[in-house]
Amino acid sequence: MKGIVKLVYSKIIDAGSAGVWNKNVFADTHREFFMQAQQFDQPGRFQTFQEILANIPQAENMNYLVSTAAAGYLKQLNGKFPDVLNTLGKTCVPFRNFRFEVIQSHRSNKALHKVAIHLYSDPLTWIDTIDRLFIFGTDSERESLLNDGETETHSIVLLPNVGICSFRNFTVTKP
Amino acid sequence: MDRKDFIKRLGFASIMVPVVTSCNEEDDPSSGSCTTTNAETEGPFPTKSPSSLIQTDIRSDRTGVDITVNITVQNKNDNCNALADALVDIWHCDKDGYYSEYGGTSMQSVDYTAVHFLRGRQVTDSEGKVSFVSVFPGWYQGRSTHIHVHIYNASGASLLVTQIAFPEGSDSAVIQVNAATAKGYTKGMTGYTYNSADNVFGDGVSTEMSSVTGSVDNGYVLTHTIVVNA
Repeated sequence: MKGIVKLVYSKIIDAGSAGVWNKNVFADTHREFFMQAQQFDQPGRFQTFQEILANIPQAENMNYLVSTAAAGYLKQLNGKFPDVLNTLGKTCVPFRNFRFEVIQSHRSNKALHKVAIHLYSDPLTWIDTIDRLFIFGTDSERESLLNDGETETHSIVLLPNVGICSFRNFTVTKP
Repeated sequence: MDRKDFIKRLGFASIMVPVVTSCNEEDDPSSGSCTTTNAETEGPFPTKSPSSLIQTDIRSDRTGVDITVNITVQNKNDNCNALADALVDIWHCDKDGYYSEYGGTSMQSVDYTAVHFLRGRQVTDSEGKVSFVSVFPGWYQGRSTHIHVHIYNASGASLLVTQIAFPEGSDSAVIQVNAATAKGYTKGMTGYTYNSADNVFGDGVSTEMSSVTGSVDNGYVLTHTIVVNA
């Protein structure tokens, strides 16, 4: 076993994103951006997020405020990374934490709206890597691993937008 | 590893590569007399989900003296009649003067809603009314007690950004609540900025002043009418 790792999946959603979930997140976060922009720049002097940010530093908070429109969709994921499937075609990477970011946006031109949702996995036991497959067990399976028991594992291919964001040595402390 | 360290490490390790857009599998649906239903490969998430701001009880994990905030929205352009279907956002600080998570792209938890405390959105009914359950706001340096309000029309266009002021006479709720150490209000009124010296309300609060009734033990009810040009 290699160690305990956490994965981060940076999911980018823009006008070209396919799928109902992505389209809903895209539409609702743009609507929220449009609404919140009117609070920070009431006269409507600036059209893009970059312009608003450059002129109204408090508008940094729009990242958080716009994230409220995505919160319900994140719950729909049932605590598993979307798109990252094991060899059986099932979602398998557990997560609870996320970071939401407006990459760019425009009040009226929705086509320029683009957000990132960075999903951070729970701690995973990195068991091995075979060819392109990253093999891991989840928290609930670690106890069995420690006791030399048989355990369920998952094998995933690490996509270009999925990376390891933290590592901890696996120290076996047997009684 | 503590949370701070974890977040620090994430900062170094985050990868930002755009998702590769999948091939468009929507084949030409026009041949034949009927139209093929488009395939949806991304699975079982077809439902729209409202913003997490939409809630009546906005207390989340915050404690303090309860307050019900009743707001009526009227339209000056319609003989001051009630404005239905308006979106009303409110937000205010907690008993210690802190707002829910401010600071951009901090880590949030899908399960933990506390970052959204004391912040909510509702749609006005046919009488132009919305109601929120919250805790009585505390105060912070330079400002008198207040609640922020942003009213939008049904399509999300801003109608008014304003604030609600609180009465501050000697037996007012503001005085009573800030003396309620048993309820966790520890600042008292020393250093408090009164409405007359407040940089927002200092030019007069006639249209922003609310009516507040109740008691520390039983909670308070705030009533306020906001007039917009819709």
